Amino acid sequence: MYRYDAIDKEFLADRANEFREQVGRRLSGALTEDQFKPLRLMNGLYLQLHAYMLRVAIPYGSLDSRQMRRLAHIARTWDKGYGHFTTRQNIQFNWIKLGQSPDILDQLAEVDLHAIQTSGNCIRNTTADPFAGATAEEIDDPRVWSELIRQWSTLHPEFSFLPRKFKIAVTAAAKDRTAARVHDIGLVLRRNRDGELGFEVIVGGGQGRTPYVGPTIREHLPAGRLLSYLEAVLRVYNRHGRRDNIYKARIKILVAALGRDEFARQVEEEWSKLESALADAPDTELARIRGAFAPLNFETLPATSAAFDAAKAGDPAFARFARNNVKPHKKSGYAIVEISLKAHHATPGDASADQMDVVADLAGRFSLDDIRVTHEQNLVLPHVKLDDLPTVFAALQAAGLATPNIGLISDIIACPGLDYCALANARAIPIAQSIAQRFEDADRAELIGELKIKISGCINACGHHHVGNIGILGVDKKGEEFYQLSLGGSGQEDASLAKILGPGMTAEQVPDAIEALVDTYLAIREGEERFLDTVRRVGFAPFKEAVYADAH
Amino acid sequence: MKAITANRLIDGEVVFWKSGQWIERFAEAEHFADDDAAGPAAVETARGQSTVVVDPYLIDIVEAAGGWAPVSYRERLRALGPTNEPTHGKQAEGGAGVEALLAATGAARSTGRVDLIRRK
Repeated sequence: MYRYDAIDKEFLADRANEFREQVGRRLSGALTEDQFKPLRLMNGLYLQLHAYMLRVAIPYGSLDSRQMRRLAHIARTWDKGYGHFTTRQNIQFNWIKLGQSPDILDQLAEVDLHAIQTSGNCIRNTTADPFAGATAEEIDDPRVWSELIRQWSTLHPEFSFLPRKFKIAVTAAAKDRTAARVHDIGLVLRRNRDGELGFEVIVGGGQGRTPYVGPTIREHLPAGRLLSYLEAVLRVYNRHGRRDNIYKARIKILVAALGRDEFARQVEEEWSKLESALADAPDTELARIRGAFAPLNFETLPATSAAFDAAKAGDPAFARFARNNVKPHKKSGYAIVEISLKAHHATPGDASADQMDVVADLAGRFSLDDIRVTHEQNLVLPHVKLDDLPTVFAALQAAGLATPNIGLISDIIACPGLDYCALANARAIPIAQSIAQRFEDADRAELIGELKIKISGCINACGHHHVGNIGILGVDKKGEEFYQLSLGGSGQEDASLAKILGPGMTAEQVPDAIEALVDTYLAIREGEERFLDTVRRVGFAPFKEAVYADAH
Repeated sequence: MKAITANRLIDGEVVFWKSGQWIERFAEAEHFADDDAAGPAAVETARGQSTVVVDPYLIDIVEAAGGWAPVSYRERLRALGPTNEPTHGKQAEGGAGVEALLAATGAARSTGRVDLIRRK
């Protein structure tokens, strides 16, 4: 893992001290709320419905056990004993007091964590494949490039006041676990025919009130030219982005307005003015960062494990966990373990302080001290020996963390919604819970197979409903919560935007509607078709009929 | 009728206006008649207390079967706490005031916030 050096540590300590002083000035009245708000937002502190919320950055979703333990400590000491992992691979604490927030930043800084650029119109936490460094599918380690972007974008003076927030995702595998195509910039590492490493650069994707799947503006950017090219993209955006209208200020609107070709032309023109020696990272620096992510001390192990096979044969619950939550690792004898934060009665993405400690312990003992957060609001132990899987499973099970539902119908993304968020129109969490409970039967969930439901409590789409196989959007209809269903979205490599199925419905009607959609799918699917494939093949008609039949 | 609410600066707690004081329970909030100029006047006073509260505003309230409650669902939620964690927030205390809020249904406007759109 990448480690902060003395300069980084000193900077974080200074920054925490600066915030303590700013909070003091706000409390004394020396700063008004209008003056203070941008300062607290620069440190990830929002005022939500019931309290302040602190969003802590987890660069490319990568944590060690020491950091996870500290997050648990913060949850226990300054919150109500839990935290909420987000679709930007970050964590949010929902019950923070302003007066105590400087103490929390101190605690974070001690373990190289902070809340910088988790809010505001700047480059936010860069997300990456949570299987980085563990999956055999990857061309290169996306963390190397994400860390480079982190260093480059942190407090970048030219890009600290963009027209609007800016989100970058990096993946290096054919299977996209980052939703790269619905980011402001999605970077997909590839090798060209000559074997040279480069990025497919996708710009202008996004969700919110005007969703777009981003177009590719360059098929193969030489990897070493990444920073200068990003600079060129950001410059074009900074110059022409719509600062006059917050709803049209994201880069996706600019790309759509100019058209892919014209936007790409302007970027190339800007790029041609940048001198690589000044704008790109030196090879020595790249090599230094790469060294921090060098392959860990993997043991040489056989490809199979008697302990693993025996546990699968002897314990159906473990076998189910292995089928759904355990993924192949690039090293023989190892596996990637996904920890579901989607127990059927739980809040999607929430983990208690005790659960965080359990994950930290398991990472320390069994996963080379490495933990990842996924954009689907789950956790990952990326390097677990097959031999250790039964032990890890038992510990997860004891902590309520062994729900075997990764990628299945109850593995739902949901934003905090009206239960917490000042922007929300409707609740998202109880909708997720009602669906998860309806489909609690694990056999049935496996029969249904991959089905991604994503729920947002308002048009800002933090719950990614535009790219849900089934998307659910909470709306406010004359003061009552109403829910609009959409179908056919995907945030993966086959990205597409979901389209609205029909009229909205009450919260109580949602599980029945989902059930009708699922029953229709099961009745008409062909072969190995996923739900999404069936929707794409047959269109909306049978699904619409099933959901709205009673209304006719 | 109307009441005045805000978030307390130091901790973000939802608070309500009562005769010049900020209190945590909606059930104890002061009520203002819709046409009572004392309501907007109190909001003006509250705006001057910038080291105490953030963003005070009027909300619509109605008397339901169990007692008074904010008209809007959002404001009832602020007065109670998150529905996914019934032991968190004000609702944990229980009692008649909380019961009244939980029993209230329906809503008349999206936010219940009277001056959300400020016209100059």
